Amino acid sequence: MDEDVFLERDRGLSQDQRAELGLGALVFVVVALLLAMLAFVFHEAWPSFAHNGLGWFGGGGNVDRQIEAIFNSGEYKTAPVYTFHAWPLIWSTIVITVGAVAIAFVAALFIAVFMIEFAPAWLRRILEPVVRLLASVPSVIYGLAGVLVIVPLIGNHLITQSEKAAVTPTIQLSGASLLAAVLILTVMIAPIMIAVFADGLRAVPRGWLEGSLALGINEWRTFWKVAVRTARPVLVAGTVLATARALGEAIMVSMVSGGVGFAPNPVDGLIFFFEPSQPLAATIIRNTEGLGSPPMKHTLYAIAAVLLFSSAMLSAIGWAAKQPMRRYGVVP
Amino acid sequence: MNVLFRAYNRLHPSIRFNYLPDGGNAGVQDVQAGRRLFSINTRPPLPSDAGTTYFKLWLDGLCIAVNPANTVSNLTIAQTKNIFTGVATNWGQGFGSNLTSTIDPIGRNSTAGLYTFFQQAVLGGATQSSNVQQVTSDGLVATAVSKDPNAIGYVGIAHTGKGSGVKSVDVNGVPCNQANIKTEHYPLFRYAWGVLPTSNPSKTVERFFDWVRTSKLAGQIINRGGAVAAFNKK
Repeated sequence: MDEDVFLERDRGLSQDQRAELGLGALVFVVVALLLAMLAFVFHEAWPSFAHNGLGWFGGGGNVDRQIEAIFNSGEYKTAPVYTFHAWPLIWSTIVITVGAVAIAFVAALFIAVFMIEFAPAWLRRILEPVVRLLASVPSVIYGLAGVLVIVPLIGNHLITQSEKAAVTPTIQLSGASLLAAVLILTVMIAPIMIAVFADGLRAVPRGWLEGSLALGINEWRTFWKVAVRTARPVLVAGTVLATARALGEAIMVSMVSGGVGFAPNPVDGLIFFFEPSQPLAATIIRNTEGLGSPPMKHTLYAIAAVLLFSSAMLSAIGWAAKQPMRRYGVVP
Repeated sequence: MNVLFRAYNRLHPSIRFNYLPDGGNAGVQDVQAGRRLFSINTRPPLPSDAGTTYFKLWLDGLCIAVNPANTVSNLTIAQTKNIFTGVATNWGQGFGSNLTSTIDPIGRNSTAGLYTFFQQAVLGGATQSSNVQQVTSDGLVATAVSKDPNAIGYVGIAHTGKGSGVKSVDVNGVPCNQANIKTEHYPLFRYAWGVLPTSNPSKTVERFFDWVRTSKLAGQIINRGGAVAAFNKK
């Protein structure tokens, strides 16, 4: 009798409670790790921000020379240099990301609509795995394709000698350009968008579409007005996900964007698309060799902090954009 | 480097290496601070390296590479400097080339060791011009040069062999090859240095450096790896 009571007591928590506690602890660890990472990155980044203030985000001087000076000041017993004006890198990040996301959004939306509603079943069976495969191709493969095919193609066939001569020696139009970066980045992020959009469109209740069709509205209009509208939160979610990927893409972009801290100028006309630049994430990848130099390390962490902050803002914007839609009972 | 460690480890199984490739300058600082027994550096000793002793281990050459479609065969250091500082921008400006197009110089980013060497040996301390396309490895320099008829780049000698798709030009009239680098006739050579603390260097590491410098096997490994054995037995 007494023994039974003891056994009950020894068991303590039920299986469900144990699972709950275990998973809760896991979530806690993940959140703690995330916070620790944020604290670490911002702590390492602080000297760079502290020395430059808001000028960090502004323009001024040649950013490549600044990086070189920062790197060289890491020598033993040298006063560290921190002067860094990242505008050309930030501008390049904005242009490449916005360009790629805009093109990919339009393309992905039409492809997803076609895939879900209009494609014959056999084509759909081929398209879906292909899109999923494309979404998981490592970025360095796209980078290699860019370096070996796209960049020489642009450099040798699209850019003319007179265009090259016009901008040298300020910059070199070699084919490694905004155009190459945007094109390849579009191909990289479009499959993610297609996959997310398609899932959202598929989840729209069939009855809603049939109701509209029964009223004599044609298939295209029905799908556009009912399905795509209903799926708006998913479109936002997919776009945010793709933007985050585009923003953080480093390897591929560093291989095809030209690697010069130059701010491409839209006033230059057509040449604008051929101008080289270097976004923030690619700057980190290119200069990892300089991590041994303390001021360089702080500067690279500052770039990382800006990227982290931007991604966090993106998630927040994605969340906020979905809020008004909840009122209509549309929950992704 | 790791191939050398493995080979030496096979000869002396009791010795294990724990090598952290984090840049030559960082390595010297670690030796100065006593955190490491030795380091490898590819630049000559500087005044800031006080408290360390440098040993020459082997040689490396920096070749100037152009596309095979370009007939230029010789460049002086001064001409190369003009190209990479943006002074000369057209192949028609007296380089003896068949091309009359804009020069596409391709280089390494400013934190690369090869860039530091190029800056000292060719640019005389000046910074490469903003029209130099910067890429992250020697292999990417060679690839870019092989794809663009107007390109010129600087790479380690390992990246100019058969199948690389690039042509190395003579510098000051001397071809960039192992023989000329070994005799130091080719102007753009550098030693890879082993760095030890001046006081109480590890005897084990000294023996390893001797083996790298003199043994036939180490010489073969160095040559195969794309560098040039300087003192090893044939």
